[in-house]
Amino acid sequence: MAGSPVAQARVLAQMALRSLASHKVKSLIVGSIMVFGTALVVVGTSLLDSVEAGMERSIVKSLSGHLQLYDAEAKDDLALFGGTGMGGDDYGEVPDFGEVQRVVQALDGVEAVVPMGLGLANMSRGSELDRALDALRRAVEDGDAAARVALIHRVQRLLELMHADLANSRAITADTTELDANLAHVERAQQDAFWAPFAGDDLAAKRAALDFLDTKVAPAGGDGVQYYLRYLGTDLPLFARVFDRFRIVEGQPVPEGRRGLLMNKRFADSQLKLKVARLLDELHDAATLNDARIADDPALAAKARQARSLYGSLTLMLSPEDAAALTETLRAAFPDVQPTEGQSDLDALMQAALTVDDDTLKARYAFFYEQIAPRVELYPFRVGDVLTLRAFTKRGYMKSVNVKVYGTFEFAGLERSELSGAANLVDLMTFRDLYGQMTEAQQAELKAIQAEVGLERVDRADAEAAFFGGADDSVEKVADGSVFGDFEVARIEREAGTRVADDRPFTREQMLDGVVLNAAVILADGVAVDEAKARVQAAVDAAGLKLKVVDWRAASGVIGQFVLVIRGVLLLAIGIIFIVALVIINNSMLMATLERVREIGTLRAIGAQRRFVMAMVMLETLVLGLLSGGVGAGLGAALVGWMGDVGIPAKNDILVFLFSGPRLHPTVGAGNLLVALVVILVVSLISTWYPARIATRVQPVEAMREA
Amino acid sequence: MSASTAPGAPASGPIVELSAVTKDYPLGKLTVQALRGVDLRIERGEFIAIAGPSGSGKTTLLNLVGCVDVPTAGAVRIEGQSTSELSEKQLTTLRLHKLGFIFQSFNLVGVLDVFQNVELPLLLQGGLTSADRKRRVAEMVDKVGLTPQTRQRPNELSGGQRQRVAIARALVTRPAIVMADEPTANLDSGTGGAIIELMKDINRTDHTTFIFSTHDANVMGHARRLVELVDGRIAADHPVSEAA
Ligand SMILES: Nc1ncnc2c1ncn2[C@@H]1O[C@H](COP(=O)(O)OP(=O)(O)O)[C@@H](O)[C@H]1O
Ligand SMILES: [Mg+2]
Repeated sequence: MAGSPVAQARVLAQMALRSLASHKVKSLIVGSIMVFGTALVVVGTSLLDSVEAGMERSIVKSLSGHLQLYDAEAKDDLALFGGTGMGGDDYGEVPDFGEVQRVVQALDGVEAVVPMGLGLANMSRGSELDRALDALRRAVEDGDAAARVALIHRVQRLLELMHADLANSRAITADTTELDANLAHVERAQQDAFWAPFAGDDLAAKRAALDFLDTKVAPAGGDGVQYYLRYLGTDLPLFARVFDRFRIVEGQPVPEGRRGLLMNKRFADSQLKLKVARLLDELHDAATLNDARIADDPALAAKARQARSLYGSLTLMLSPEDAAALTETLRAAFPDVQPTEGQSDLDALMQAALTVDDDTLKARYAFFYEQIAPRVELYPFRVGDVLTLRAFTKRGYMKSVNVKVYGTFEFAGLERSELSGAANLVDLMTFRDLYGQMTEAQQAELKAIQAEVGLERVDRADAEAAFFGGADDSVEKVADGSVFGDFEVARIEREAGTRVADDRPFTREQMLDGVVLNAAVILADGVAVDEAKARVQAAVDAAGLKLKVVDWRAASGVIGQFVLVIRGVLLLAIGIIFIVALVIINNSMLMATLERVREIGTLRAIGAQRRFVMAMVMLETLVLGLLSGGVGAGLGAALVGWMGDVGIPAKNDILVFLFSGPRLHPTVGAGNLLVALVVILVVSLISTWYPARIATRVQPVEAMREA
Repeated sequence: MSASTAPGAPASGPIVELSAVTKDYPLGKLTVQALRGVDLRIERGEFIAIAGPSGSGKTTLLNLVGCVDVPTAGAVRIEGQSTSELSEKQLTTLRLHKLGFIFQSFNLVGVLDVFQNVELPLLLQGGLTSADRKRRVAEMVDKVGLTPQTRQRPNELSGGQRQRVAIARALVTRPAIVMADEPTANLDSGTGGAIIELMKDINRTDHTTFIFSTHDANVMGHARRLVELVDGRIAADHPVSEAA
């Protein structure tokens, strides 16, 4: 229509506003839905954006870096925070990290390229006796008389328990030959004469007695507890420098050029820590962080019961002095506790100390850490210990490496997040030993074997099979029946009689020029990840490296998809809200249109074209949408602002990770508001399209019909 | 079509011409023959009443002349142009520029005030400056005597006042023909008389053609020509003496 557009628009807007005002209830209902929808979009998208930013900080600054490079032919997708497999994922390999680093480091905006290799190792804690013997050997070597006496006492007590165990087994076993031999060894060690050398000065005699215990007695006692430890081999000093969430908690960093392990504090606390302590921690966290009450929560109540039942595991660990001292302390704290039939005083008191309810939890928790914890081993290792890690190499042979624990670490802000415990850190050389890359000595030996069998070339797989899988005398049968083939480590273990760390230093070149599984790329601030990803990919392609480049989200595994999932859920919720809004707006506009047939007919009769009618109806919802959208966006922004001030507490460990800290402080961006307004306007238009179409079909003769 | 006086139209010919017009309405399986062969010529400046009992076809006839409907058979010509040959859009444009409507139930836009209701057709037409438009509206509102009520909404006005607004709205575009379907049916006789007098005044001064229907003998008396419909046919068509 020709018309005067501006003046027409003005009168239309006025008609829309007044029409809205004259249908207050309808406008209020539709308006409220729109306000709610817009506020939801603003709050939802703001929160998600903040979570995504938090998650990015968590992932990028702890393990992944901005980009990850790995074998283009890898069978599985990289999953740094754990994927579907239990470390059995095949990420292929990057044969020569040095070259990758040279190529990628040269690019603009690349701050660091960090070598990495994930693996899963089995870590044996050793039986109680193993560990008592380790400690006794240390006391003997150090000439610590007091510790020695206490430990001898402890070993003797463990021998008693072991003797009883073996005797029980004997009663129910047909072939007793082996058991009889073991019993004989234990009985020998129980004689006073066996312990006589420990009172004297003859170090050799003491060592001989310890060797007997280590080799003949202890093996009869079983393997002790096994743990699985996910490790990430890397350039440890570089890792510490570029992943700024990384922080040493206890001990010290592994020095440049040295082998060593840094235990993940979160992993240690949730997987390795003494069960009783772990249970108390969980109860305490639930009470202090989530205000949960044991009385109201069956799961917590079960934990409390379990903690109480584990008193025996604590009393067994105590040295006689500690047992006596603790009995006294406990008696003072629990004067009325009486042991039940057959229970020792200490057991009864310990049980009392571990009995917690909502009222006593805080005090007993503190008591546990002040009085009991210092006298027992909370973790199966101490900083400075040497752990034996066993892992299957790529070819499926068991290898073991002794590695020193230099310290524990955490990722700042993520301390409480289970996901931050995804990996422990080891040096790259230890990783390669476990991965199955041959040392120079092994390569030399392989050459000798090749010469012997007259082969020109032996490929890597065959070589490894020949090396680790052959039936030669360097392969040792271990108790669980698996074969572990690193003769060098096995020899070290045998020679020392106890665990000694593989402490061969290595040069930077050795570390860089070798196999890794993946590499993290840290970008300079402000470099766009997508753009850098393309450049890095182009560079490695140009260099002929068969690598794929993925961003942090893809590299992190399932957790990286998490925000996508929440976003999907939010979208669904918003979608549902808006579909409801759509239906309601559609219905009410349709009804309004039907009520206005005479008015619309009149407008058509006096010369309004269909377009004018269309605009009139559409504008009404649009104006309502704009007003409600404005109010909703304002409310949403205010809500996000308030949440940003107060912070949303991360109630569980996944949230700690997603929030990148104990609280999320969301912020609202212009983008969030814009998206919300656009969405509400689009919904308004869609929902009014049909009623508007109906309105345009109203015939001008409708104006003539009598009222 | 720019001006209301349509300079291109043959000034000599009839402004409205119906020839052998029939209009059928489907009613279920039946067909209602609302008009059965109507021939009618209306000259420029006439003041003509269509009379007849309820159901005789008055509204149907006005709808055809008012271009809100087209005949089943026969032709309706407005200034020589047959309405059957025009598209819906063209008919709308024709109504906007040539015709004015006054309804039995006033049919004002409830959310707009007096001024805005009167202004609406001018906004739809466009072409005037804002100042010209406002002046024209103010003049028109003054002409129907509603200047004090300019900013009131229809529901604040009496029936007679509302119909004055409708008259102002119909006339503000200076149409060639004004259609009024029983404009006084919802008014008391005094008010109705005043409304017809107002229309007659305007007809006298501006020479606007008025065609209105009524079944009220009093109102018929104001017309200068009376067309009587019975059962869709013209039963009588004669001038009315000024004295009657
Ligand atoms: N839309 C319609 N559908 C069916 N019949 C109609 C319609 N409009 C009018 N009629 C019928 O046509 C005849 C003439 O009606 P109308 O022109 O409204 O008469 P009047 O205005 O003189 O009362 C009546 O019988 C009426 O019932
Ligand atoms: Mg009628």
